[in-house]
Amino acid sequence: MIDRILILSVFIVASCGLAYELIAGALSSYLLGDSVLQFSSIIGCYLFAMGVGAHLSKYVRDEDVLARFVDIELLVGLLGGLSATALFLTFSWLAAPFRTTLYALVFAIGVLVGMEIPLVMRALHARSAQFSELVAKVLTFDYLGALAVSLLFPLVLAPRLGLSRTGLLFGMLNVAVGLWTIRVFRKSLPRPGAQVLRGAAVFALLGGVFLVSDRLVTWAEKGLFGDEIVHAVSTPYQRLVITRWQDDLRLYINGNLQFSSRDEHRYHEALVHPALESAPWARSVLVLGGGDGLALREVLKYPNVESVTLVDLDAEMTRLFSTSAPLTALNHGSLADPRVTVINQDAAQWIEHSEQMFDAAIVDFPDPSSFALGKLYSVPFYRLLARRVAVNGYVVVQSTSPYFAPRAYWSIVATLAEAGFRTWPYHAYVPSFGEWGFVLASLQGPFSPPQHYRIPMRFLDAEVTRGMFAFAPDMPRPAVEANRLNNQSLVHYFEQDWHRVIR
Amino acid sequence: MDRRNFLLAAGVTGAAAASGAGFWRWLEFPTEIRSPGRQLGHLLRDRQANPPPRAHYRTDVLILGSGAAGLTAAWRLAKSGHSRFIVVGGPEPRGNLASGIAGEARYPTGAHYLPLPSRESTHIREMLEDLGIILDGAQAERPYYDERHVVHAPESRLLIDGVWHDGVLPASALPAAGSAEHQRFFSHVDELALARGSDGKRAFAMPIAASSADAQWRALDALSFAAWLEREGYRSAALRWYLDYTCRDDYGRGADQVSAYAGLHYFASRAGDARNAERGAVLTWPAGLGALADRLAQAAGLIRADRSDARPAPRLLDGTAVSLRQIRAGVEALCVTQGAGGLESYVVTARRAICAMPLHAAGRVVEAMQDFGFDPGEHLPAQAPWLVSNFVLSRFPAELPGATLAWDNIVLGSSSLGYVVSTHQDLRVGPPPRTVFTAYHALAEMSPGAAREWMTRASPAELLELASADLRTAYGWKLAACCERAEIALRGHGMAVPAPGYLSNRGLQALREADGRILFAHGDLSGYSVFEEAAWWGDRCARRISSA
Repeated sequence: MIDRILILSVFIVASCGLAYELIAGALSSYLLGDSVLQFSSIIGCYLFAMGVGAHLSKYVRDEDVLARFVDIELLVGLLGGLSATALFLTFSWLAAPFRTTLYALVFAIGVLVGMEIPLVMRALHARSAQFSELVAKVLTFDYLGALAVSLLFPLVLAPRLGLSRTGLLFGMLNVAVGLWTIRVFRKSLPRPGAQVLRGAAVFALLGGVFLVSDRLVTWAEKGLFGDEIVHAVSTPYQRLVITRWQDDLRLYINGNLQFSSRDEHRYHEALVHPALESAPWARSVLVLGGGDGLALREVLKYPNVESVTLVDLDAEMTRLFSTSAPLTALNHGSLADPRVTVINQDAAQWIEHSEQMFDAAIVDFPDPSSFALGKLYSVPFYRLLARRVAVNGYVVVQSTSPYFAPRAYWSIVATLAEAGFRTWPYHAYVPSFGEWGFVLASLQGPFSPPQHYRIPMRFLDAEVTRGMFAFAPDMPRPAVEANRLNNQSLVHYFEQDWHRVIR
Repeated sequence: MDRRNFLLAAGVTGAAAASGAGFWRWLEFPTEIRSPGRQLGHLLRDRQANPPPRAHYRTDVLILGSGAAGLTAAWRLAKSGHSRFIVVGGPEPRGNLASGIAGEARYPTGAHYLPLPSRESTHIREMLEDLGIILDGAQAERPYYDERHVVHAPESRLLIDGVWHDGVLPASALPAAGSAEHQRFFSHVDELALARGSDGKRAFAMPIAASSADAQWRALDALSFAAWLEREGYRSAALRWYLDYTCRDDYGRGADQVSAYAGLHYFASRAGDARNAERGAVLTWPAGLGALADRLAQAAGLIRADRSDARPAPRLLDGTAVSLRQIRAGVEALCVTQGAGGLESYVVTARRAICAMPLHAAGRVVEAMQDFGFDPGEHLPAQAPWLVSNFVLSRFPAELPGATLAWDNIVLGSSSLGYVVSTHQDLRVGPPPRTVFTAYHALAEMSPGAAREWMTRASPAELLELASADLRTAYGWKLAACCERAEIALRGHGMAVPAPGYLSNRGLQALREADGRILFAHGDLSGYSVFEEAAWWGDRCARRISSA
C-alpha cells in the first residue's frame, strides 16, 4: 500500500515537473517570440538543473530522506505553481530583466524537481523493495506521468485554464503529494506538525491566487497595452503588438503607440496630402518607414502616381501588414499594389547607395528617441535625401509634437533648412497622439497650402488645411540648433521635452 | 558511496565538465597575430645578401614609404601637375594609416582619428577640402565639414566601477576637490592655447614647425610632463590618470617619460573649430585614417577608380628599399619585394628622392646618413611599441549599466587605452551585420626595448590577454560569445616618443632642412607621431621639389 502511494506520487511529481517546463517554454515563446529557441533553451536549462538536483540529492542523509522530500514538494509547489503568474507580472510591470528572471526560476525549479525522483527511490529502497523492480516501476510511472501531461497540457489545460492557472493547479498537486506523504509517514517524520502547517499555507496561497488569477492576468496585459492583444511578434529589430478593443485596432512598436484605427486617417491625410495635392505631376514617390502601409494607402489614391518605393527596415512588419486580414482591410492592401516596390533595408543605408530619383518623399520614421534613430533626422541624412528628390519635388517629414516637444520639432525644421531645403512647418490634431507636427520641404519648389483636394477626404478641407500651417501663440518657435551628427542635439531635445510632459 | 551514487555523481560531474569544456571552447575565437613590416623590415637590420635585381625603373621623383608623409607628398606632387613619380610602398604599406576589412566592416590597424585641424594646419585643411571632407571655407576660422566624417554623438564614455559615464572625465563621477582641479587644469591649457611667443607665433601650434621658438615656452621641454604637473600642484588621482592616459594615447609613453611641452601641446594645440561641430571634435572613419589613405592615394593617381583613364600615372610599387644612395645623376634605390618564388629585387633611379620612412629604417637604408647631420646612435628618438587589436563581432555584446556605447570607450584606471567602435559612424538604424571593436595598448609599462623583446616571445594567449584587457572588463565572457575572430597587430616601432629635450634634437633639425637629391619626410622629424606632422613634412618636400 505504502509502495503504491509512493509510486502514485512519482506519477504526479513527474507530471508536475514536465508541466512547469512546458509552461515556461510556452510563456517565453508567447512573450519573446522565436518558439524553437525558447523551448530548446528552457528544456536545456531545465534538464541541466535536474542533473544538478540529482547530484545534490546525495547530500541528503538517509534518515532525512522523507522529510526533505516533503519540503521539496512544498517548495516546488510554491515556486512552480506561481511561476507563470510571476513571469507574466514581471514582463508587464517590473523593470527586472525578464530573461534573467525566467532562467533563474526555471533553473531553481529544475534543481528541486531533479531531487525528487532520487529521493523517492531511496525512500522506497530503504523500504526494502527489490532494486531491479523498483527502478523499473519508478521510471515507468515517471515517463507515464510525462506522457499524460504532454497530452493534457496543449489539448485541455492551456486552452481551458490558461498558463497561469495551469501552473497553479500543478503547484497544488505537488503540495497535495507533500501533504499526503506527511499523512502516511507521519510516524517516521521528525516534525510532521510544522510541515502540515507549512503545506496548508502554501496550498491556501496557491488556491487564493488561482481564484483571482484571471483578474491578475487581465491586469498584467492591461498594464502592457490596455486592450486585448490580437497579434504579438518579436522581430530582429522590434516588438510589434496589435491590440483590439471594439472597433479600435492599434499598433504598438516596443510599447509605443504607432496608430489607432479610429483616428489614423487624420495623421495619414495630414502627412501625405498637402504635399501630393500640390504635385499633380508627381509620378514616382518614395516612402521611408511606414511599413504599416497606411501612408502608402493615401499615396496610391492619386492616379498620377505610377510607382512607389517603400523602404522599411523590418520585413516582418511589411509581411504582417500585407497578409493579416484586419490589417490589409485597414491599409486597403496597399503593400500588394502592383505600383509598389517594398524594400526591406535600413533606410539610411539604402539612401546612401540608391541612385533613383523621386518626385516626392514621405518620411515616416519613429521619433528620434535614440542616437541611432537621430541619424535619420540629421543634416547628412537630409542632404542624401535631397539628392534623391526632384528640385521642385516635395519632402514631408513626420516630426513629433510641436506642442509637447517644441524644441525637438523646431530642431527638425532647422535641420532640413541647413540641408538646403525651404520648409513649411505644419501640425494637425490627432486625438490618440495629441497635437502632432510635420514639416513640408522642397529644394526649390514654391508651395502654398492646397485650397481644395482632388480626392475625397475625411479630415482635410481648405479651412482645416489653412489652419494646419498656422501656429497658435501657445506654440511659439524656440531658438534651437540643427541636429548635427556630432552632438545630436535633437535626441537631447526630444528626451528633455518629453520628459517634462510624461510623468 | 555506493555504486549507484557513484555512477550518478560521475555522470553529473562528467556532463558538467563536458558542458563546461564545451562552453570554454565555444568562448575561444581564432586570433591572428600580425607583425606588420617585421619580416621585410628586419631584412634591413640583418643585412642579408639580396638577390640580383630583376628590373630597373627610371623616374623623376622617388618616394620611399606610403604612410602619411609619403602619401601626402604624392598628393601634393600630383596636385602640382607631376605624374612622373614612383612610390615604393615600404615593408608595411600605408604605415600607421593601415586598415583591415571583415565582410563589409572596415577597421583600423593603425591610427584611427584626426582632430579638426587648427588655423596653422593649412596643409591639412587644403587636403581635406581636396578630398571632399571640408565642404566650404577650408582656410576660414570655422570651416564647414561633411558631418558624416565628424565623430557622431556619443563621442566617448568612461567606465568607473562597473558603470559607464558620459565623456572622458565626467564631473558627476568625481570627488569635488578633483573636479575643481580639473577646471583649473583645463582653464590653464585654454590660456596656453591662446599664448603667443615674442615672435608672434602661437606657443603650441600644430605643426610644431609653426610654433613659437620663444625660449620661455621651449623651456618646458626640459622637464617631464609628470614633473611639470607636480610643480603646478595638479595632484588629483583621476586627473593624473587621465593625463597619463593622454600621453600614452598620443605618444605611447606615460607622463613621466614625455616632455612637458609635448604633454601640454596635446591640449593647447587642438584649437580646430568648425561651423557644424564642437571645438575639439575629431574626424574619424570606420577604417580609421585608412580612409584618408584611400582618398590620398586616389587623389595622387596611385589608385585609378576609372580604368579607362589614359593620363600618365605615377606608379605604386610593392616592396621596400634596402639601400638608397646618391649617384651623379641623382639617386639610386635598391628595393626588395616578396615575389611568388621568394625575395626579388629591383632598382629605381630618380632625379630626387623623398625618404618617407621612419628614421630607424632610414638610418639603415640611406647611405652615409651621418653626412646629413643625423647620427642614428645619438639622434634617433626612442620608439614606443604598440598593440592594435581588432575584435570582429557578429553582434553587440550586452553592456554594463550607464551611458550607451560610444565611439571611444575608456576604462578608468586601466593601463590600456580603451576601444573604438568601427561602425559608430555608419548611417543606419538597425544593427550592422558585423562590427569591429579596436582596442589600443601602448606597452608603456616596460622600456621600449624590453617591450619589443616581450612581443617577439609572448604567446598568442598572453598577447590576447593584454590586448583584450579593457574589453574583458567591460563585457567579461560575453565578448567571446560575440567574437568571430581577433587580429592583433604588433607595432614594435609604432611611434617616436617626444621625451624631454626632443625639441632641441639637432639631428632632426638637420634632416628637416635637407634639400638636395635626398629629402626627408616623416612624423619622426617632429619628434612625435601624428598625421598632421607627417603630412607637413611630406607636403613640404613635395613643394620644394615642385618649386625647384
